[in-house]
Amino acid sequence: MTAVIRTIHIYAGLLTFVQLIVYGIAGLAAAYYGGFVRPQTPESVHYIPFTVPASATDKQVARLVYDTLNPAMARPVPDWFLQRTPDNHLRLDFYNINGIHRVVVLEKEGRLRVEEIRNNLALFLEDIHAATPGDDESPTLVKFWEWWNEGAMWTLLGFCLTGLWLWLAARPRDVAAWALLALGAGALVALWSVFR
Amino acid sequence: MTTYPVLRTVHLLCGVFAVPALLMYGVSAVQMSHSAWFRMKPVVTESVSSAGIGMVDGRQVTEETMAKQGFRGEIESVKETPAGFAVRVVVPGTVREIAYERTSGLVRVRTSVSGVMGMLNRLHHAAGVRREYLPLRLWGALMAVVALAIIGLGVTGIWMWWLRKQERTWGLILLGANLAYGVTLLWLIRAGGV
Repeated sequence: MTAVIRTIHIYAGLLTFVQLIVYGIAGLAAAYYGGFVRPQTPESVHYIPFTVPASATDKQVARLVYDTLNPAMARPVPDWFLQRTPDNHLRLDFYNINGIHRVVVLEKEGRLRVEEIRNNLALFLEDIHAATPGDDESPTLVKFWEWWNEGAMWTLLGFCLTGLWLWLAARPRDVAAWALLALGAGALVALWSVFR
Repeated sequence: MTTYPVLRTVHLLCGVFAVPALLMYGVSAVQMSHSAWFRMKPVVTESVSSAGIGMVDGRQVTEETMAKQGFRGEIESVKETPAGFAVRVVVPGTVREIAYERTSGLVRVRTSVSGVMGMLNRLHHAAGVRREYLPLRLWGALMAVVALAIIGLGVTGIWMWWLRKQERTWGLILLGANLAYGVTLLWLIRAGGV
């Protein structure tokens, strides 16, 4: 039985190795960035001619900008997220997994200011680790990752349970292992009770 | 093969330390991926107390209310409203929305407390060591150590598998397929542009 579980554990680990490393880096990135600080400085800025149709609403302009630029891996800006710059230009933030494709509609100048704000690799891994098939509107490439992530999620749960089995079958009296389990679980329970 | 017993011990120690958090992350990931499977409605209560009339410092009003009502947490935001202030105080699983009215001095506190799955969800998202509230800082530090243990678990696991030889052929196929699929996909998504 233990030999079979060991084989399952090894293959489960090999199948989820990439995710395990991505999750580890995502955890470190989240610890550093706190999940809130996002880069706002554009990596590049360029301008594109654009004429705002007479009497068009912000919502219509936002849709027209989306159709014109067709920003990679981004969906249209929702109505509730239409923003204005301090000098009252329409600002559209097209979010995607790599950062923000920020567009400012310069109506009087007849052009769009397009800023590319790119997440660094650590933030990218933090975001991609959270992609799950629950999002119906994600781009096709991200969808492929999401299904793979879903598989990894279940495989990792199996990896944890088989790992516990192997430990208890092979080294049930390992004091250091029990001490570290107590430390990890104890810290979690203690902080849980503080938050409650 | 002298390396193998050392790797096995390090793998075990990384694993047992990280496993409570890994299970927490795994179960909350299932909740996020399949939200329809779970009831996530929080329990909401409201209370009203009074502070001084005409207060101008939202943070001060919040800290006094927290001391008076005996709750703690991180003051996430303080916003001016036409009537006074709107403040959010959070700990994982509990959100308190505080509304202060300058003319009456009334402080209304709306408290939303999540159930177990909601709490797991919030703990999954609670990260970062640069926090105001000490228990959140400790949580962020603990999860950073767990992240290192997860990386250690992966690296020692791969190393041990390579040394064992028995599962090398099928393992190479699985790992190769996993790496090729994962790395190619990550590269394509990353190259997809902003």
